[in-house]
Amino acid sequence: MNTTYLLQLVINGLVIGAFYALLAMGLSLIFGVLEIVNFAHGEFYMLGAMAAFFLLSHVQLGYWPMVAAVTVMGAGVGWLFHRLLLGGMAGRNFERSLLLTLGLGMVLQNGALYLFTATPKLARTEYGMQAVVIADMRVTLMRLFALAWAALAFVLLYLVLYRTRIGQAMRAVAENREAALVVGIRPERVARLAVVIGIALCALSGAALAPIYTVTPTMGLIFAFKAFAIVVIGGFGSIGGAAIAALALGVVEALLGGYLSLILADGVAFVAMILVLLFRPLGLFGTGVRV
Amino acid sequence: MSLRLLAILAGIAALYTLPLCGFSEYVMTVAVVACVFAVLSCGLNLVYGYGGLLSLAQVAFWGIGAYTAGLMAMDLKWNPWATLPFAGLLAATVGVFVAYASLRLSRHSFAIVSLVFALLMQLVARDWVGLTRGALGLPGLPQLAIGGYVFDSAARFFWPMLSFTLVSLALLYRLMHSRIGRTLLAIRQNEPLAQSHGVDALAHRLLVIGVSAGLSGIAGGMFVFQLTIVDPSIMDFYYTESMLIMVIVGGPGSFWGVLGASAVFTVLPEALRLTPELRMVLYGVVLVAAMLTVPAGFGGILAKRRENRWRTQLA
Repeated sequence: MNTTYLLQLVINGLVIGAFYALLAMGLSLIFGVLEIVNFAHGEFYMLGAMAAFFLLSHVQLGYWPMVAAVTVMGAGVGWLFHRLLLGGMAGRNFERSLLLTLGLGMVLQNGALYLFTATPKLARTEYGMQAVVIADMRVTLMRLFALAWAALAFVLLYLVLYRTRIGQAMRAVAENREAALVVGIRPERVARLAVVIGIALCALSGAALAPIYTVTPTMGLIFAFKAFAIVVIGGFGSIGGAAIAALALGVVEALLGGYLSLILADGVAFVAMILVLLFRPLGLFGTGVRV
Repeated sequence: MSLRLLAILAGIAALYTLPLCGFSEYVMTVAVVACVFAVLSCGLNLVYGYGGLLSLAQVAFWGIGAYTAGLMAMDLKWNPWATLPFAGLLAATVGVFVAYASLRLSRHSFAIVSLVFALLMQLVARDWVGLTRGALGLPGLPQLAIGGYVFDSAARFFWPMLSFTLVSLALLYRLMHSRIGRTLLAIRQNEPLAQSHGVDALAHRLLVIGVSAGLSGIAGGMFVFQLTIVDPSIMDFYYTESMLIMVIVGGPGSFWGVLGASAVFTVLPEALRLTPELRMVLYGVVLVAAMLTVPAGFGGILAKRRENRWRTQLA
């Protein structure tokens, strides 16, 4: 078997897996703090990619300022999302918040379809198809940069969650809502930050992946579908579990798609999720917090 | 009460004469679609309104039924009628399996798993070219026929579709108003209490999933013989959202509310001549607005008013 091809697939898998991880970690964070599963998560990723496309092609922004701008916009949208829709729903009726985010997702996806049509768009950056060659492998700069963005996001998220007071508060709320209230944590503030971070991660993922894949209004749902499966596989509310499951899934998918068939790559997330539910319902890294 | 029964019977008789009234093919197609949505949304109402399980996989069961019937008629050359039981059976089996796996965690994980399953089925329909022919689908399916009489127009097809719809609705109505329906409501209100009375919550939930998935599968199977093609668009999210709107606006748990809403939301978008995208945007807005203001839906408002009336009468 050709080693270069294998390594190439692994790298592609790691890139996609890293962004599955960013989406899944955002989902997990929002779920942990607000007890809301955000079904519109993928649509924010799609919006991020759309915004990236417009900033690159119409505003003629460079790659680096574009990614930064889209991420900041994502944070702003997250703030609005919490303020207008999610704020009053935290910890209340699960189905209600679920249908709310599902409805929002449909508005965003079909609104984008109506405004921008289903034609796939290619986001071009000033780096074009430039690539570096590492040990016979040709890796495009866009993939390397995407990986770097993901790594940066991982580190920042880790620092926020484990090295700041508000991060500590977030973990406290995720672990035990009532106890967190008792010790004087203000759930509103914590929830707002969780949503802002979650949506900013979506926007960053969209911006970083837009130059690698094509941009379409329907890209969000299929991408988010993997993120949902990952959250179940990794264990609900387990952010670290989501990251590991995401990277593993990305690589496995790339290998299956590269050597066997596309449909196996599509289905593996679902099969893994069902197996986990059957044999280890709390998830591979679940802490026992039941949904 | 017998007056109500009489009204229902008169309504059914009127529906059966609909194809004879000389309406256009377009109007009769809308009528057929209304029947389909009545089965789908009332099935979802059983699962969500009674079972308390938010299922987003109904479209997948309907699509599985559609593909099963289409493939058996096309590749195995079966009579279209004979494929329908298998369409229902396969959809029900898959539904029960997915529900069994996801309910091991909680009824919330069921909602997520059902969405993932529906998306997976979209991909299977599109990408598993060896089985489903991919995006091209299976064109040129045969049509339903009895003896020499072929149901080859929407007006003619309306009769078998209406008959199946009425049988399904009767079954769903009986189930909702039986001991099983009441047990489901008890589970929904207080699961630990119901279980402490010896109620098997899981078995009841699997039963309603199986019944509604089976009915959706048969409806899907029948519908493709009217379309004479089955392609990945049968798995479209459009169906999921329509069903949800019908159940949410009609009021989960309210049989007549959901039935009425399914008729309204089939006819209204046609009357307004909305493009599919705008229709979905509108449905999404309605869904969000309903969740922010009246989560119990129209049926919920009626129930509340009835309750208030009883209270004032008793006081």
